Amino acid sequence: MPEPTDNASAVELTDITKRFGDVVANDGVDLTLRKGSVHAVVGENGAGKTTLMKVLYGLYDPDEGTVTVDGERRTFESPRDAIDAGVGMIHQHFQLVDTMTVLQNIVLGHEPSRNGLVDDREARERVREICDAYGFSVDEHLDTDVEDLGLGVQQHVEIVKSLYRGAETLIFDEPTAVLTPQEVEGLFDVMDALTDDGRSLVFITHKLDEAMTAADEITVLRDGSAVGTVDADETSRNELARMMVGREVLFDAEPRERSPGDVALSVDGVCADDERGIRQVDDVSFAVREGEILGVAGVEGNGQRELIETITGMRGAERGVVALFGDDITELSRRERIESGIAYVPGDRTREGLVQEYSLVKNALLGNQTVEPFADGAFLDWRAITDHADAIVEEYDVRPADADATAESLSGGNQQKFVVGRELERNPSLLVAAHPTRGVDIGSIEFIHERLREMRDEGVAVVLVSSKLDEVKRLSDRTAVMYEGEFVDVVDPGDVTEEELGLMMAGQSLDDPDTVALDAGGDA
Amino acid sequence: MSDAGTSHVRAALDRIVDRMLRATVLERIVIAIVSTTLALGIGAGIVALSGYDAVEFVYSLVYGAVGELSNVAFTLRQSTMLILAGVAVAVAFRAGVLNIGVQGQFVVGGFAATLAILFLTPLLPANTVVGVVLMIVAGGAAVVAGGAYGALPGLMKAYAGANEVITTIMLNFIASGVVYFLLDAYLRPPGAAAPNTEAFPDYVDLPGFAFGSPSFSVIGFGIALVTVAVVYVYMTQTGSGYDLVTSGYQEPAAKYSGVDPNRMIVRTMTLSGMIAGLAGALFAVMILGYYSDPNTFPTFGFDAIAVSLLAANNPLGVIPAGLLFGGLDAGGQYIGFTLDVPSELVDGVIGLIVLFVAAPELFRAAGRYTGLGGDAR
Repeated sequence: MPEPTDNASAVELTDITKRFGDVVANDGVDLTLRKGSVHAVVGENGAGKTTLMKVLYGLYDPDEGTVTVDGERRTFESPRDAIDAGVGMIHQHFQLVDTMTVLQNIVLGHEPSRNGLVDDREARERVREICDAYGFSVDEHLDTDVEDLGLGVQQHVEIVKSLYRGAETLIFDEPTAVLTPQEVEGLFDVMDALTDDGRSLVFITHKLDEAMTAADEITVLRDGSAVGTVDADETSRNELARMMVGREVLFDAEPRERSPGDVALSVDGVCADDERGIRQVDDVSFAVREGEILGVAGVEGNGQRELIETITGMRGAERGVVALFGDDITELSRRERIESGIAYVPGDRTREGLVQEYSLVKNALLGNQTVEPFADGAFLDWRAITDHADAIVEEYDVRPADADATAESLSGGNQQKFVVGRELERNPSLLVAAHPTRGVDIGSIEFIHERLREMRDEGVAVVLVSSKLDEVKRLSDRTAVMYEGEFVDVVDPGDVTEEELGLMMAGQSLDDPDTVALDAGGDA
Repeated sequence: MSDAGTSHVRAALDRIVDRMLRATVLERIVIAIVSTTLALGIGAGIVALSGYDAVEFVYSLVYGAVGELSNVAFTLRQSTMLILAGVAVAVAFRAGVLNIGVQGQFVVGGFAATLAILFLTPLLPANTVVGVVLMIVAGGAAVVAGGAYGALPGLMKAYAGANEVITTIMLNFIASGVVYFLLDAYLRPPGAAAPNTEAFPDYVDLPGFAFGSPSFSVIGFGIALVTVAVVYVYMTQTGSGYDLVTSGYQEPAAKYSGVDPNRMIVRTMTLSGMIAGLAGALFAVMILGYYSDPNTFPTFGFDAIAVSLLAANNPLGVIPAGLLFGGLDAGGQYIGFTLDVPSELVDGVIGLIVLFVAAPELFRAAGRYTGLGGDAR
């Protein structure tokens, strides 16, 4: 970890207050980012992390408080002003144009020009300089379309783009969410190089281990207020978790009670294509028993989505058979599969899991249109649906606790809690959950995990897809690792380290002799 | 640019838009009335500037719409058609399917009703009971034919990827052309000059009751209101209606909830065409009493698009929107008969009124898009 070069502050947020109607998203938050340091901001969903960063990045105007950059008080009307002041942001969802080349993306909006034309040579030169200075390999791909690059490289493109625009302060919004453990290590190296060069970084994360590894200081937000700022070297995971949640959090799972029953779901030789007709699932076979959680680990985009969509009826299988309790359901429609007891937490909650402009009450009906007691023949029973929505909001701690609020007015984590609640309360015989805790805070993750275990113990068969290795390891009874449309292996999660899982996610089988040597270095 | 200045303006705009977004139904009606009055005032000013008598213009517009019982009947007659056709459009638009073919489905529905009446009349005794039966059968035939004619572009969109805007527009031409051909070749009585069918028998007509107009019946208006109510209940109280509306809001979520998108497109177009077909039957039975060259019909199916959009595609909103359009239509036609104001000017002022009534809705929509009225939105 690099030592901060001096104690001058790069950015000072003083007494920031931001209200949305009656909701106070930030309540007098102070944050000082020292020059050349990494400052992590951790907190539950709705704690105000994103709001605070949007204030710094010029997307929101604070109601009170001041933003000081390099000792000068600033008012940002837009991100453009923030960029001009040397503040850049690496968004969680990359702000890249997929069909444009890497070079075009980097210089977009800040193109060097000569005689009114884009000066291509000058652009290349400057991008190369940046890449050389920080050891990025982005310059090897300058003429490749962004969509053809892996997510790790795309993230590097984002960083280079900010540096190209002269960013001295970089905000990383949940940067590790889409990366493999190896890519995360790589990102931390990049962050070190950036701070060595005197740049200052804000690192927003849910993952306490990462905050402690990468940051110099950590500020914890809770309910819109800064609970405190601690030195990363002098804190512990438990202390941080307590600050975040306001109470003790248990990290150790209870021992598994393994008593799986009959085979609930069997998938036999299934192949599936994506929208473009490209094969994404290639001859996958497995079975899940009642009372068992099968975890599917893998870097996103290796066919997990297509696989679970063929199980839940969102997508047709090109080949193979999907069976539920011995009955072939391959040809059943999505609705028939819902009625046969399959619950599904989709990976894309904003497009699929919720109708953004609907209230939570109306969203509680989504997928339940033909299910009693919500439907009585052709007609709907809105009273039963409203009660159901209220119950989900209460039990899954959805905030604000108002079932008449629209889905779009909720933060991502609260949307997720609502979707998980709706699906888990279906009393399914098979639950397919994609990233059930994505974007959800620690306290709620704990609750959702607990509910998943309870359902498992009640005899529900669960297929859990997650890119969070600790989640897969902690919850699954068996773990399958998916890579390029196939299962690399199915292992007992107790027998492998996260590092080994990470290597399998990169396509290496554990039988591979190279794997063992790398194992010593791994300590996630 | 002073920061304080812009932020004050922005804050004021925020408050106004926020207020607009939260306006209740009652407030929206008040806004509509105020807008109409304002537009009439401005319209009168334009008329006066053009050298015509503005007072007489406004008076005639209002008198033509509601001044006499027969004028009210004419307003309600136009409104009946606009409400029914408007609901047909609204159903499709709510599901995210752009049915521009309501006019064609309307023409085909009216033709089917005509065929049913003309073929069955000689086979049945002539009395009032038979008249009622004939009208019900004609209505059924119109619903089936309109539905089938709507299903056609639905099938083309769902299973062949054909853009429904283009196919429905083309099908409008095809409907008018084919119906005209069949009518001219087979249904025109020998020796008749105009391409009209024989008149329906006297007992196949809806009674006018209080209005005493041969081309308007309270029953027809009632059918339009009942259709609105049925569609409203369908959309808000049934699972199938939830499927339809959800498909319009967010198709991936509808698919996730078990809706087959292709079937939904076909179902929506069929439903929309059925309502349009019913409008056609009413047009044939209540207004014409025979059938004629569809190219000469009023363009209810197109005007209905404006009605539906003014109502924000809400079936209940179609009623006031349909009444407004019906009244303006009646008033405008009355001016055409009685004053020498050019019809372009009349249409211009009517357009101005529609614009003013629609403006709050546009303002609201703009508020949503620009994010004014609170960051949370």
